[in-house]
Amino acid sequence: MEYNFRRRIRNLSAGWITVYILMILLVCFTSLPLIYMVSTAFKPFNELFLYPPKFFVQNPTSKNIRDLFSSMDSSVVPFSRYLFNSLFSTVSTILGTVFVASTGAYALTKLNIKGKNLIFTLIIAALMFSPQVTQIPNYMVVNSLGMINQFSSLIIPKIATAYSIFLMKQYMEQIPDTILEASRIDGAGEWRIFGSIIMPMVKPAWATLVVLTTVATWNDYFTPLIFIQRQSMKTLPLALQSLAGTAGSFTRSGVTAAAIFLTTLPVIMLYLSMQSRVIKTMAFSGIKS
Amino acid sequence: MKKVSAKFSLEKRKAIAGWGFISPWIIGFALFLAYPFIKSISMSFSKITDISTLDSVFVGFNNFLYAFTVDINFLPMFLKTVTSTLIWTPVIVIFSLFIAVLINGKIRGKAIFKSIFFLPVLLGNGFVLKQLLDMGITGTNGIITIPESFYQITGSLVGDIILNFIGQLTVILWKSCIQIVLFLAALQSVPEPLYESARVDAASEWVIFWKITLPMISPIVLLNCIYTLIDFFRDISNPIVGYIIQNGVKSLNYSYGAAMGWIYFLFIFVVVITVFAGMRKLIFYGGEK
Repeated sequence: MEYNFRRRIRNLSAGWITVYILMILLVCFTSLPLIYMVSTAFKPFNELFLYPPKFFVQNPTSKNIRDLFSSMDSSVVPFSRYLFNSLFSTVSTILGTVFVASTGAYALTKLNIKGKNLIFTLIIAALMFSPQVTQIPNYMVVNSLGMINQFSSLIIPKIATAYSIFLMKQYMEQIPDTILEASRIDGAGEWRIFGSIIMPMVKPAWATLVVLTTVATWNDYFTPLIFIQRQSMKTLPLALQSLAGTAGSFTRSGVTAAAIFLTTLPVIMLYLSMQSRVIKTMAFSGIKS
Repeated sequence: MKKVSAKFSLEKRKAIAGWGFISPWIIGFALFLAYPFIKSISMSFSKITDISTLDSVFVGFNNFLYAFTVDINFLPMFLKTVTSTLIWTPVIVIFSLFIAVLINGKIRGKAIFKSIFFLPVLLGNGFVLKQLLDMGITGTNGIITIPESFYQITGSLVGDIILNFIGQLTVILWKSCIQIVLFLAALQSVPEPLYESARVDAASEWVIFWKITLPMISPIVLLNCIYTLIDFFRDISNPIVGYIIQNGVKSLNYSYGAAMGWIYFLFIFVVVITVFAGMRKLIFYGGEK
């Protein structure tokens, strides 16, 4: 007891206070752009032009957000349409990714198919590969399948990713084969085993996959930029950016900030509700690689 | 005898089910990763003669030569990306290790620090970060307001250097979130008895870090170096990546875009392999080895 107490005193020595101050500073710098974005989104017009600029908003206003919505009202396509596009493509991509990655990882780890080492090598190679190189042929494939300006162009090309199957595989390898053998002897089919034994056991992995896929799809600006030309098919980030005008331009910076604020809000909410699980899984799969 | 044949049929059934399970992933992978990959190789060696039908003729290394000898934009952008990557990668790895060590110490509120440092991952593909940075962290319309007296004390040159560093600090922090998580997991997996026995032998914390912690987490140091390199090269805010996209997609110069993409990818590949080979001797692998 006394030992504990002494240790607590020692923890509060000058060294530790420095560490805390340092950490808090670093935390400030990490969240700086975010705080600034939120603050700018609520700045009235005259505060955007202040010199020197103020970090925090003095008289918060919702004018930027209202401007954003009114410039949407004046466009042919209503806001709800963009929201629907984003929601629909994100949810479909999540469902598709989790399904395809889980079944694929199950086959790779528990069903011993021939050539699984080759497939695994391909996955590792694809992890390293930069998507910019294949951007153009990718466009050609999507084009020849007639998916340009369709929801399918936002969903299908993103389902079979290397990262997702890698993550699921890392987790499924941990499940002992004996459990599966036991249920096979009891006459359960592979789908039954997959659905009622495997998936509940790797819940942290696919929960993480849900978050990561949501982040990647919801924020994605480039896939819709390349595949979607029709205004009514644009997703939220693309639509908001084009309505807000170029970033960095002085006059529209409040509206831009409002646009970014509205787009990122749902993702941050989702993360905050699932954060500890996500961090654990990410660290785990990284270590195992 | 009967037993063997029964087992064989079970194995066979498993294999058939296995192919069924993995086929969605294989199809997606073939269509949107493998085929574009092969197609881009053939494109980089050809020239498109008719843009509507995409007829092309084989031109050998012409596209590659063009990038190095004729195009005045390519080489400077390429070198700029390479130098900034090679400078920033070690900075980010060391910095993230430093933060991970701080969090891993006997500090309160670990969970909060962890989730704040992880927050930037949510903003995904770098586009949002680019937008935020375009709005300016420092500079004339920057978000950190420095009182006039600051410049009077430091002089304008020193003041600018400090401001520049502060501006970069946020970028560094935003780029090191995954690395911090991976380092943290690695630090936590170092066996406690190693530390105990070192402390019994009266080793200082400084020595313990260099002689125990660093060798034990060296595989993750390598992983993080490679991750940072790839992350930097793939970043869409890189001028060269933007140039490739602009050439390939917007000005319909498909084959030249593909060629530049390949030069870039091969370079990344060489760098990663070099780092891998160079660091292999320094890595300590625990276990039976």
